[in-house]
Amino acid sequence: MKLKVWGARGSIPAPGPETMRYGGNTSCIELTLSDGSTLILDSGTGIRNLGLALGGGDPIQQPIHILLTHLHLDHIQGLMFFAPAFRPDSEIIIWGPASPEASLRDRIARYISAPLAPVEVRELPSLLSFREAEPLEWEIGPAKIRAQAVNHRGPTLGYRIEDAGTSLCYIPDHEPGLGAPLSALDDDWISGFELAQGASMLVHDCQYTDREYPNHLGWGHSPMSDALEFGHRVAAERLLLFHHDPLHSDADLDDMAAAVAVRWEQLGGSAEQVELATERRELVIAGSRVRV
Amino acid sequence: MNGQKPLEMILARNLLSSVSTPAFLVGEEGVLLFYNEAAAAMLGRRFEETGTMPADQWTAEFGPFDGDDIPMPYDQIPATRAIRENRPYHGNFRIGGAGGRHYEIAASAIPIVGPAGASGAIVIFWPVTVQEGETG
Repeated sequence: MKLKVWGARGSIPAPGPETMRYGGNTSCIELTLSDGSTLILDSGTGIRNLGLALGGGDPIQQPIHILLTHLHLDHIQGLMFFAPAFRPDSEIIIWGPASPEASLRDRIARYISAPLAPVEVRELPSLLSFREAEPLEWEIGPAKIRAQAVNHRGPTLGYRIEDAGTSLCYIPDHEPGLGAPLSALDDDWISGFELAQGASMLVHDCQYTDREYPNHLGWGHSPMSDALEFGHRVAAERLLLFHHDPLHSDADLDDMAAAVAVRWEQLGGSAEQVELATERRELVIAGSRVRV
Repeated sequence: MNGQKPLEMILARNLLSSVSTPAFLVGEEGVLLFYNEAAAAMLGRRFEETGTMPADQWTAEFGPFDGDDIPMPYDQIPATRAIRENRPYHGNFRIGGAGGRHYEIAASAIPIVGPAGASGAIVIFWPVTVQEGETG
């Protein structure tokens, strides 16, 4: 599988000269499977540029699958600006968490509708369908997909994608250490553990520094130490830290990256196993190691 | 690992570990999955010491006890019947704890029902009276 980061920022887009290197677009990852087909993970503002790269006038792979972890705005805001959605020759399948309150389509339509948007979901020219992710495994192309509820505010999923002997686990919004230190919990009491266990690559929430976290308890995001502890506990082969706080400049994230490397090595890992996600970064997930 | 616990049970355990109200977390088949420090103070044994306990074991040790101080079988506890019907229950019980003490407690049992169905129950309790009881 190949991974490309189109947006690694959390909460709200954070453009500007201070964030040029790590990027200001919100969550979106493009995953290219072993047969060349594409999965899209979340549709934050980063999906706008992804859509431009996919489209033009050339035929688009059919259908396009978009896996949404949850419906907070930073994970769906780009949907209305996703170019293939405006092409009548496109078929798009949007997956997301179920809710007893309303269908996935109706919940997304709250955003893609007046007064928040100039278009309605039903007006989008593409063939658009919505599917609520089941707890059972399903297949998309050559990949096996699994979804599991994880600890975040509101119904939120993590996804595990397995293809050609490699696995990617994507949990961009996650607070597994809320209420109890991870070190005090057995594995089966840690949110997301089973989903992430042994993943070739784990993409995980790392929004806060350890110093910031006490002022953000219960906000649904992880401090650096918990992100690394989680990655260590699940024995992920590689760790891509994600969902950068909008207040964190490139310089701040450089500092965090240095702290991450030190802390990861203290946990017994090697520095090349972990990095902070950067917009437009491409990684190949191959076998038991990741190539850049 | 016995299997990933449902998210609602993970959150329930984390909640109970953060409060000072004595509480149990009970899972399928009445297994006592967790109790917090406040409960441990009443019962005289820490969860780290006992670990999870099957229903027949924790009821024999902690109660509730009937009027003859005999542990009530789990299936016959009124709260059990309510929880199995996904109903909450509130009532008074008699439990045994540290140093042979018996406590009259007021307990509220709240079923936990997740997307996949019933996962277990939270039982919150509070001493009504404390009596010196006989051991053995």
